[in-house]
Amino acid sequence: MRAVFWSTGRKRRRYTIFICNTQSYRRSTPPCRMAKNKSSSRKAKIHDRLARWAITLGGVAVIAGVIAILLMIVSVTLPMFGNPDVEPLGACRLPSASSVPDVLELGIDLDIRGAGGAVFVWFGDGRVDCLDIQTGELRAEQRISPPDGSEGSALIAAESIGANRFWLAWSDGAVKLVELDHTDARGAAAGLSSSESGTAGRTSSGAPGTLTCRTLAELPGLKNSNPTLVVARRSEDGTITRAALLPEGRIRVRRLSAAEDLFGDVEVETHESEIGDEVVRDVVAMTMDGPGDAIYAGSDDGRLVRWQLDGQGRVDGREVVNAFKDRRAVTDLAVALGDVSLVVGDERGGLTAWFAVRADETRKMRLIHDLGGEGGPVRRIVPSRRSKSVLSLNANGLMRLDHLTSERKLAAINADPPLRKIALGERGDAAAALDASGGLNVWWIGGGCPEISLKTLFGKVHYEGYDEPAYVWQTTGGADFEAKFSLVPLLFGTLKGTFYAMIFAAPLALAAAAYVSYFTTPALRGLIKPTVEIMATVPSVVIGFLIALWLAPIVKQGALAFFISMVSIPAAFVAFMSLWQLVRRINWVKRAENGFEFIVLVPVLVVGVLAAVWLARPVEARLFDGNFLQWLFDGPLGMKYEQSNCIIIAFGLGFTVIPLIFSIAEDSLSNVPYSMTAASMAVGASRWQTLRYIILPSASPGIFAAVMIGFGRAVGETMIVLMATGNTPIIDWSPLNGMLTLSANIAVEIPEAPVGGTLYRVLFLCAVLLFILTFIVNTAAEVVRQNLRNRFGKF
Amino acid sequence: MTNDEKQSVSHQAGAPPTPAPLPLAGEGKTERGSPRAFWRRGEPQVWVTSAALTIMLFLIILLLWVVLWNGLGVFWPARVAEVTLKDGKKLLGERIRGQINPDTDVKSIQFKTGNRDLDPHQQDFHWVEDGEIRSIEFPPEVYVLERTENGNFYGFLRRLEGPDLEPSETPVAEDKVRFALKTVRRKSAEEIAPISEELRDLGRRLQNARRRIRRLEHRGDDERLAELRTGADDITRKSDELVGWQRRLLNELRRNVVVTSDAGGREKAIALLDVVRFYKPNEMGFWAKCRYYLLRLGELFWENPRESNTEGGLFPAIFGTVMLIFLMAAACFPLGVLAGVYLGEYAKDGPLVRAVRIAVNNLAGIPSIVYGIFGLGFFVYGIGGLIDAWFFPESAAAGEPVFGTGGILWASITLGILTVPVVIVSTEEALRAIPRGVREGSLALGATKFQTLVRVLVPMASPGMMTGFILAMARAAGEVAPLMITGVVKLAPQLPLDGEFPFFHLDRKFMHLGFHIYDVGFQSPNVEASKPMVYVTTLLLLSIVLAMSSAAIVLRNRMRKRFLARTI
Repeated sequence: MRAVFWSTGRKRRRYTIFICNTQSYRRSTPPCRMAKNKSSSRKAKIHDRLARWAITLGGVAVIAGVIAILLMIVSVTLPMFGNPDVEPLGACRLPSASSVPDVLELGIDLDIRGAGGAVFVWFGDGRVDCLDIQTGELRAEQRISPPDGSEGSALIAAESIGANRFWLAWSDGAVKLVELDHTDARGAAAGLSSSESGTAGRTSSGAPGTLTCRTLAELPGLKNSNPTLVVARRSEDGTITRAALLPEGRIRVRRLSAAEDLFGDVEVETHESEIGDEVVRDVVAMTMDGPGDAIYAGSDDGRLVRWQLDGQGRVDGREVVNAFKDRRAVTDLAVALGDVSLVVGDERGGLTAWFAVRADETRKMRLIHDLGGEGGPVRRIVPSRRSKSVLSLNANGLMRLDHLTSERKLAAINADPPLRKIALGERGDAAAALDASGGLNVWWIGGGCPEISLKTLFGKVHYEGYDEPAYVWQTTGGADFEAKFSLVPLLFGTLKGTFYAMIFAAPLALAAAAYVSYFTTPALRGLIKPTVEIMATVPSVVIGFLIALWLAPIVKQGALAFFISMVSIPAAFVAFMSLWQLVRRINWVKRAENGFEFIVLVPVLVVGVLAAVWLARPVEARLFDGNFLQWLFDGPLGMKYEQSNCIIIAFGLGFTVIPLIFSIAEDSLSNVPYSMTAASMAVGASRWQTLRYIILPSASPGIFAAVMIGFGRAVGETMIVLMATGNTPIIDWSPLNGMLTLSANIAVEIPEAPVGGTLYRVLFLCAVLLFILTFIVNTAAEVVRQNLRNRFGKF
Repeated sequence: MTNDEKQSVSHQAGAPPTPAPLPLAGEGKTERGSPRAFWRRGEPQVWVTSAALTIMLFLIILLLWVVLWNGLGVFWPARVAEVTLKDGKKLLGERIRGQINPDTDVKSIQFKTGNRDLDPHQQDFHWVEDGEIRSIEFPPEVYVLERTENGNFYGFLRRLEGPDLEPSETPVAEDKVRFALKTVRRKSAEEIAPISEELRDLGRRLQNARRRIRRLEHRGDDERLAELRTGADDITRKSDELVGWQRRLLNELRRNVVVTSDAGGREKAIALLDVVRFYKPNEMGFWAKCRYYLLRLGELFWENPRESNTEGGLFPAIFGTVMLIFLMAAACFPLGVLAGVYLGEYAKDGPLVRAVRIAVNNLAGIPSIVYGIFGLGFFVYGIGGLIDAWFFPESAAAGEPVFGTGGILWASITLGILTVPVVIVSTEEALRAIPRGVREGSLALGATKFQTLVRVLVPMASPGMMTGFILAMARAAGEVAPLMITGVVKLAPQLPLDGEFPFFHLDRKFMHLGFHIYDVGFQSPNVEASKPMVYVTTLLLLSIVLAMSSAAIVLRNRMRKRFLARTI
């Protein structure tokens, strides 16, 4: 019998392996039974093969899992960049009696995807048809009479303003705001108060439905005048404003404001005014903003005009812009959601967005977004009620959907025969178009994140309300609010926090690692290194809590002492050094240089800190007018000191990163073979020279790896930054204020983000960025480390 | 080292700023101790590195000291001072800290005065300027009453009142109050506890009935639906009745009060039912204080939190943390060991394995929040959504997803993936540290690879693997960011493990020590009053994590020594 002994450590446990052709199976379960027992040997072989497969499969699966994580996160973000899906929802034809040129406007019913999805069609004779888009039948029909006093005048325009509401204008300038309510025969009849009850549609199949039409507001016509363009608006408080462009080159404005007096009686005031500008003569397109406070007009020689109205409907401010150098005619105007941006369509098919920007104390209309486009003149622009998208139609019959902020072309539909009229659904997710032959098609436009493009994520974007393009991250706000998804402030914040953390942590950890690996005694090294490694596992939430609620108030209170200590501690050190060079001649004192320097330095550190605290108040009184923080703000630096700032973050992140850097750097330094140290010492180099010129160059890849891994850790740290920064997305290098990092941003925003929404996907993109950032850094570090391992593995 | 390499090293090292290459130190023995040699030999630089170590150790000690100092003292009863102000006003409170206003040079002292319900601004803490104070005394008869609501009460006991109590003299003796407290508690346990028990039972039944109703509604089974609905209505009616009855009883019991007076002599009746405990801090001796301390520690470990988590115990959070760690271990260890064994023993060394190793190390470096968002997208909404769609369509339709929302299962699997690299790396390292000879010996004796692995290598590598396990658990215990988006909550009404079938409720949300720190410290309305609790939680979490990681590191170092001695 032969046995191989493998002794393990102090306990001297024995692993005994028997040679098999001996008969002695005295020990329990010998590892193999060969030859003697054929079936058990086969069993072992089968086990072995099974295990090999299982382990290989499991191992590969884990590795596949790593890749799957990345793919999964990426797959959530990708739909963000895709165009929305355009699917036909239904189609129908105009009733045979009506002709396409008669059609004034289309409207899409609120619930277009439901069973009774319907489209409204307005005709010049005051008729509105409700067509079923699934069956193509005429569901109901209704005729709207003009307001009193305008009998006999023809309906010249209808404008959909969303929520099944339409402004109707007659040839004498009379206007009416109506709301259509359509009930399917299958559904329950709606008992709405209606001024004009609908007639049931009588079609072949006779599916009866009702169409009720409620008049919400109206204004009587102008006397002795037939305006060419009429626009009317009603604000939320009930003020009605109408602007009518008269053929003789004037705009007549009428404003009806309902005011409640002290006794609760509603008093209606009517104001009239006229705009008689010379530019009015050339006006060919006109619109108003939502509440009717501004009139926008475009001329046939490329000028844009904005008249601001006051409470009485008089012109309060006027601005004319020569919008197009080539003096192309403006063909249609629309005000996008939010009542700020004016969308301009021109005769060359171009779409542009304009809004007023502060420049030299005045506000001037500026070209903000150029959505491009070519072909025939733009016939119609329909803004979405939910987003900054606009649907437009040009004379060639091309319908397109664009997003203003991201300048993305979301969809384009070109049908044959060409399209003549268009409408956009209430939620901006359906579009209807009437073609020249009377066919009416409805499309579903869904999915995608229209407000996201690479430019909005990473570039400067000119948002409404801003005076210049900027990087903005802002996800919550008021009703008409547009979410702003620039990742630049987040990336900046991440790098800023990491930068300050690294300039604090890296030198400290590397110097300490050098000291521990080369200058201190092995016993101390065996004590310090595990301590530091244990500190690496301190939960970040603990550090975050301590620095935010314990350190931050202290540093704020003693801000000056803190800054002084940055000078006083080195000063104390230098003073100590000059003292030491004399004292060290004494033998027992010199013994400290055998690796106990750091203990000797403790009083020096204490003296430095105490000196800073002691100096702070006189210095503050003498130099900083008694209040350092105030001086920082008012003084030449002009920096505001926030309690949660980068100094605090540097400490917090530094605390997580120092043990990591220390431990890796120490490993790589002490892995440099001792023979090199010995050789260097033998030729007379001092211990510092050996470290500086022999060890450091050899271990530099490992040190690089340590710094990289520390960097990767600091980039992704979440809890500390979440707790100890103000989480404000600002772009400012000042160390005295906070930031918002990618990681903290995810933690803050994800509970609020609806699944599958834009914010949700953008947050996944943040995660992808973090992943990639750390991946690059860690891969670099790992490759370097492996090379180093191979190199020194040979010794 | 080969000659070439040596040359390259010296070449790299060369070209220092001074013309002489490698300025040699110690030219002549006489100069060695002189200041000039001190500088030339680079000793100051060595001192700079040692200063870095000093600062680093100082920071570590500072951190531990802050946590220990603030955390350990929380339960130690502080003396209650009676402060008489110059205008004759009096207040009772524990001295918290003093501060000097840098602008005015006025020293002021912060007192924890409690009595939140008597204060016009609902404040627990008051700052008093040093100049206003006439005297500070520590009257022995001051009591601190810990209450279930409104925090501590500092004051004097006057008398007992109430239908179930004998009228008492003024001021009342302490043991009478204790006896009254016992009486009221016993009465509450006899009368109210059974009702609460029954209410809980009814609540459970109602929940089940609702779930069944939803399922039937989803299927459109109208007949049984009506039956169930009447059943549910019955339960609701019954529980409403019981609630009313319970409230009446409680109100009755609440009439048993201890009348107290505050520093100014204002009387305040405190229902005995609301008193958690009371003590006389100024009269307590050292051992009494120790007893109190242990009592509070027991409460910390075994009781539920009170007053939006700022008082009471941490039991649900501790329980959640421990259960999370064990579930995480169940998810992570098998996978990690499998992958580690594959990498260490089965994979053929080549570019692929090299890439895989880089990937694993990378995995360890990915920020935890990325895992969190992955867990949310993949486990919660992906797999959880699927489970709901297959097994609980009615709940998902009603907007109350079962697995399609954060829960302890998803949180622990997410943490498991997060910690898997730690286990992989340590398993692989432990296997690689075993000398080749052992493997070859075993194989040469005819053992199959699997036999070698199971009977020789794994036992030898087990300390190293253990290190990985413990480190992974320590990391999981301290990680908060991924939990925040996969199911941790500030207050979970039910534990994920209880006596109700099927005992493990992996879909439930849970509490966690780390999140507790974040939530109580940063989201609570009264930060000052919640700080002691946060320090205690911090101390607890830190000691758990540090104990685990110290064990792991000691284990690893031992193992390293053992193999280092052998491999040469």
